[in-house]
Amino acid sequence: MSSAPAAAAAPPRTAARPERGSRYLLAIDAVMPIATVVLMIFFAVSRSVFLTVDNLLVVAMQVAPLMILATGAALLLMAGYVDLSVGSVMAVSGVSAALTFQSQGVLLGVVVGLLVGLVAGALNGTLIGIFQLSPIVVTLGMLAAGRGLAQFLAPGSIFGFPESVSSFGAGKLFGVSYLVILAVAAVGIAMIVMNRLPFGRHVIAVGVNARAAFLSGISVRRLVFVLYLVVGLLASVAGLLTVARLDSAPSGTLGAGFEISVLTAVLLGGIPFTGGRGAIWRVVLGVWLMGILANGITLLNVGPEVSGILTGAVLVLAAALEGLRFWVRKKF
Amino acid sequence: MTTALSMRGLRKSYGPNEVLRGVDLDFVGGEVHALLGPNGAGKSTLLGCLSGAVRPDSGVVVIGDDTHEGFTPQQAFDAGTAIIYQHFQLIDDLSVADNLYLGGELKSRSGTTRIGEQVATANRVLRSVGADFDATQLVGTLSVGQRQLVEIAKAIRHRPSLLILDEPTAALSADEAQLLLGLVQRLAHDDGIAVVYVTHLLREVLQVSDRVTVLRDGEVLWTHDTAELGMDDLIAAISTTAGQAASADSRPASSSSDRVLLDVRDFSVAGSPPIDLSVHDGEIVGIFGLLGSGRTNLVEGLAGVRPTAGTVTLSGREVSTRSPSHARADGVVLVASDRKEQSLFGSMSAMENLLMPHYSVLSTPWRKRSRESQIFDGIAEMVHLRPARATLEADSFSGGNAQKLAVGRWLGQLGTASVMLLDEPTQGVDVGAREEIYHLLRTFARLESKAVLFVSSDPEEVLALADRIVVLVDSVVAGVLPATVDEQELVALAHSDGPAGAAFPTEGLSHV
Repeated sequence: MSSAPAAAAAPPRTAARPERGSRYLLAIDAVMPIATVVLMIFFAVSRSVFLTVDNLLVVAMQVAPLMILATGAALLLMAGYVDLSVGSVMAVSGVSAALTFQSQGVLLGVVVGLLVGLVAGALNGTLIGIFQLSPIVVTLGMLAAGRGLAQFLAPGSIFGFPESVSSFGAGKLFGVSYLVILAVAAVGIAMIVMNRLPFGRHVIAVGVNARAAFLSGISVRRLVFVLYLVVGLLASVAGLLTVARLDSAPSGTLGAGFEISVLTAVLLGGIPFTGGRGAIWRVVLGVWLMGILANGITLLNVGPEVSGILTGAVLVLAAALEGLRFWVRKKF
Repeated sequence: MTTALSMRGLRKSYGPNEVLRGVDLDFVGGEVHALLGPNGAGKSTLLGCLSGAVRPDSGVVVIGDDTHEGFTPQQAFDAGTAIIYQHFQLIDDLSVADNLYLGGELKSRSGTTRIGEQVATANRVLRSVGADFDATQLVGTLSVGQRQLVEIAKAIRHRPSLLILDEPTAALSADEAQLLLGLVQRLAHDDGIAVVYVTHLLREVLQVSDRVTVLRDGEVLWTHDTAELGMDDLIAAISTTAGQAASADSRPASSSSDRVLLDVRDFSVAGSPPIDLSVHDGEIVGIFGLLGSGRTNLVEGLAGVRPTAGTVTLSGREVSTRSPSHARADGVVLVASDRKEQSLFGSMSAMENLLMPHYSVLSTPWRKRSRESQIFDGIAEMVHLRPARATLEADSFSGGNAQKLAVGRWLGQLGTASVMLLDEPTQGVDVGAREEIYHLLRTFARLESKAVLFVSSDPEEVLALADRIVVLVDSVVAGVLPATVDEQELVALAHSDGPAGAAFPTEGLSHV
């Protein structure tokens, strides 16, 4: 400590950098939550019905399938992978379940629906995780094939299920939809996985530096396989819930475009497209932001297309924040 | 003979690190001028100043009547300088002719490319370098030696007055290398080009060059006509014997026992010839070899990164080299070279970087934060991590402290690894931290049933750290030397033709 060179050797950069830089990073991270609150205040002031418990519960129910799927997609993206096939997996498993509802009963239908999701996830996971094929190309192929398969199984819309299906879809516990309760459970599990289980650290590690993760003894292939399996399963859950809520299974439109909504939600949740970072609560916020945008715009009577424009604008804002983050990290 | 290019007083520093300290050098047309020097002598920076990639802090480059205080790459090209890098700058999916004219296509008046003319000219240039393939062939279908000819054709198409070749034979077979050396001499002697030939292969220097310059510590040590020189002169020039005496004195006593800990039999990595190797309990074995000697492949193979054949046993139990996680489960771990790319999770915290391989073991199944920070504190203190802040991102640490994060993973309470493999353990690490890392490795090896096997291209490091030295030449063990060996002998063995042509005894070396 006494010699001057020793003091100079401790780089001042490492001491100064995190202080100033992390203040800016905190500010950047606060933009999305603040934007959500501001938007909610705007809608509440414009339409008093917006900020009522009943309306907010409706929003929660509407976004519940998206929320459930987004938890899995969030983990997948944190590891640096995407799944564009989820909308079609929802359709195949929803349609398979619906057909089984009619012939074999509800319980078996649920089992069949979930199995379809697991099989689709295992297929994606094998091709991408084990054989290292391109995630975008493989899941884009699954997107097309899955939609085709769903429409092959049932050309039109399937309806006329046992009573219990629609009663679950509309059912509530203490005024809260079963769908919302399931979504809350999914979020809770995802948070536990990310914060309390080793798996969560491994997911981030693979997203930051897959090579280093591989060399430090993490089985990257197995991890990616498991993530796709989970996303496939969650897609089937989202498909089943949507069928229950609609009380029908339209093979052409069930889950159509859902892959884009899921991706939008997790990107709004601040997970960079290359992975390596992310928090579940922010993803919840991303899903919520999409929900209140759709709901608020409807209440304002300005037409649903405005909701699309706004969602797009917010997504570009998210990209800008990510760019700003990158710049701050490099600069400070 | 005319001077094609002169350098006067070239200086360049990176921060406090003075890489070039006033270099004066002349390259003469019609001559092959070999440039030699140990790692860190400033060769790459010097080449960078000539190609325009690096701007010197002071000094001038004189070409003909023009005096330059530093080039852009375009100015260097216009001045008649061509450089061929170690890594080819060719595009596999384009034809040879298209590669030759990339960015400078021959255009017709309507703006289309005159393909026929390009192919005809390209073929003429190819014939002049002795190539036996057609310019319409895709580069991707050519052998490495043929691609090297394409690179040369591309460079001489513009009739440069100065041609720089950086380790041109590194990836070539012996026959291809001989052809290339002949071509290099023709380009200089017949076409009058000033050729600068950078290599670490001393026998090539003697064979191809007319003049040799040795760089050391950013200065020209000497320049001589090759005819006056012998192999011994070159070996002496690139060894840095001064550093060795000090490190040999300060070397602590070896802790190695007679018990073989890691036994490697008929071990072949990605099709290389099989080798045998053993590491004793408590021993630190250094693997020394030139670029392309298979030194990195060997440790990566042992760690399960590359496909292998043969058997590896640890205290008699077989070690699986199927994957890094298999090898690790059996007690063998690797600290890879290039820690930024291969070891560290840059945007994750120091604690996460240290604990990453161990989260599963530490959790039951829940993670316990208090236990995690307790273990982090223990390791951070042991390795003298500075700053010892658990939440600081790995990217924010200096080279030495970042390497402590990479090595520290396998130390302390979590040290379930028996054999630690390291590739270039102190690359980009400052001198102080280097000694600390050596100390950590020695302490690790001294524990019960532990050993270290490391690879280094730096003879000083091998001599300072290893108890025993294995020299690799062409993926074969050329010799096993004691740590007391003279640096010149070590370097000479690595430059030899392998065990068949080895002029050096590998057993019973007299101790210095």
